[in-house]
Amino acid sequence: MRQPRRPGAGWLLLPSGFWYALFLVAPLVVLAVISLGVRSPNGGYSPALTAEQYASLATRFTPFTNTIVLAFAGTIMCLLVGFPLAYVLATRAGSWKTVLMALIVIPLWTSFLIRTYAWMFILGSNGVPKVLEAFGFDVQLLNTPFAVLLGIVYNYLPLMALPIYVSLERLDRSFIEASRDLGAGPFATFRQITVPLSAPGVVSGCLLVFIPVMGEYLIPVLLGGGKTYFLGNALADLFLQSRNWPFGAALGSAFVAFMLLVVGVYAWVVRRLTDQGRESSLL
Amino acid sequence: MSTPRVSRLDPEAITRLAIERRLSRRQFLAASGAAAGAAALAGCAPPTGSTASSAPAVESSAPSSAASAPAQSAAASAPAASGTMTLATWPNYHNPDAIAAFEQASGVKVNLTVYGSTEEMETKIRAGNSGIDVVVPSNYAVEGWVADKLIQAIDYTKLPNFHREDWNARFMDQAFDKGNTHTIPKNWGTTGIAYRSEKVKEAVTSWKQFFEIAGTTYQGKSVIVDHQISSIGSAAVGMGYSLNTIDPGELGKIEAMLSALKPKLYAITSDVQPPLRNEDSWLSIAWTGDGVQVARDKADARYVVADDGGELWIDSYSIASDAPNAAAAYAFLDYILQPENAALETTFCLFPHANDKATALLDPAIKDNEIIYPKPERLTKLEYAVNATYNSPLRAETWARIKASA
Repeated sequence: MRQPRRPGAGWLLLPSGFWYALFLVAPLVVLAVISLGVRSPNGGYSPALTAEQYASLATRFTPFTNTIVLAFAGTIMCLLVGFPLAYVLATRAGSWKTVLMALIVIPLWTSFLIRTYAWMFILGSNGVPKVLEAFGFDVQLLNTPFAVLLGIVYNYLPLMALPIYVSLERLDRSFIEASRDLGAGPFATFRQITVPLSAPGVVSGCLLVFIPVMGEYLIPVLLGGGKTYFLGNALADLFLQSRNWPFGAALGSAFVAFMLLVVGVYAWVVRRLTDQGRESSLL
Repeated sequence: MSTPRVSRLDPEAITRLAIERRLSRRQFLAASGAAAGAAALAGCAPPTGSTASSAPAVESSAPSSAASAPAQSAAASAPAASGTMTLATWPNYHNPDAIAAFEQASGVKVNLTVYGSTEEMETKIRAGNSGIDVVVPSNYAVEGWVADKLIQAIDYTKLPNFHREDWNARFMDQAFDKGNTHTIPKNWGTTGIAYRSEKVKEAVTSWKQFFEIAGTTYQGKSVIVDHQISSIGSAAVGMGYSLNTIDPGELGKIEAMLSALKPKLYAITSDVQPPLRNEDSWLSIAWTGDGVQVARDKADARYVVADDGGELWIDSYSIASDAPNAAAAYAFLDYILQPENAALETTFCLFPHANDKATALLDPAIKDNEIIYPKPERLTKLEYAVNATYNSPLRAETWARIKASA
């Protein structure tokens, strides 16, 4: 059902529209303009109209694949850990729910930098490896792709668990009871009722993890020791070391375009899932 | 703020200073970049500049007996100044006592903003309208800044207390700024090899040796810094090329060597002190400040200037072309460059000073420390990184490819 448009709605959008134009559209235009320029001999930007920056995007293919692979792996790990967590929280936690929720949320109030720095000491040779050494294992944990993955899962887990929790929480218990009454076992009920109905939460959780991890800069620097090189690091280096603004802008623009594609696919998946959800709820 | 002053500087005092200010200049690059990343994530204001520098001011900064009080003579002939002056500089590089004394003597309020690299300062100052008055670039950036008119010519008539003859000839009138028309040195230093001698049994003396053992005997225990000038430059020296090579053939060989070395390294990071202290790394490229601080805290730590050469660098005071308060900038330079005040700066930051009179005033614990002030003959083979090296797209891309390699 569509509501009739009320007069004055446009005025209400004015502040956000202004904000959007000034802080999103305008910077993107600047980014696009700079990406068509060339690097001035002493660094920075020199006006030009050339696509040569875009032509050299392939030189940053390795950081791109590094980022994609670890972002995917991180998202899947977050899902594997986050779903059971959210499930317990929504269905089994009982009176512990508030406490458990606080335990998940409170670390988010601490600086991301400090939490990640702490892992440097846990994974450094005086931390966990020292303990493992006592059992005869000689391992290096810090400055490995494993440490980067761990940092991603640790830092982004709440962003996965919370939306899944919300969708499980909202799940109508009578569906599950009906399923059991009609003879489905616990696993079949979980697979046919719980999973499909929590899918929107899963998809938004995945997106909330995947998108920021794609832009991750800090975790590879601190836990990867500069050896696992992400797109975010490549971008930072282009501006702060090479001072090649046009190439940095081109890489940034290409990155934005790629992420728009990801979000487009997401929107499509969500639409399909919610349609399915509606159908199943009608049945 | 009257903090009790220690009247003499002993090794313990330096150790304490070093512990209290463990965050060295370049390691700040990682931290400030990281903070920026974190803030962007949290949607906060970017912490460039002073917000990020909120490391506690050291209370026990202990001036040497000779330089125990900041010189007060400045006000006499210095140009009248007032208002606020913004100083864009490195972290933990200025003695808060000297700054406070200047503020008292001149009535100018100093707004200290810190950066992790010259590149970051340049990004800010090149964007224009930065509000920066005095900026402290490294030698390799100066030529480009002068050419692009980012900094202004210094009018020495406004620096009545500046005496050219007090300064060490090695650091004046250099190719990057002939006649010191635009810059005056602050502190200088070297890029050397730091190692833990309990773990690294051999004496490490050259870059050639460093890069050989980094990937073999000490595989997984070596660190190179995340700065193309120092890392590519040191590798070049080890292979018999110039620190400043931009020759495609030579850079190709360096790239092959460093890309093969990369998986065997412990890390590529400018934050070299934590792993060196924890013995996560045993062998590392390092800058003077890192060398002094780790050697003071860990008895077996060594810092050597390589026999085959390497980098020598100077950070210099300069005045931004669009400085909003140039009068205050001159008043500040005139004050801070006087030997007594310059000595206070070195006492605090532990980097050697280019003003010989200031050096003479230092406590023997500092001026006879060979990590801070290497013997002059150790410096003869060292090279300054030049502007072409700093600006070379080929060097930048070579470094990016090395870092991106598997």
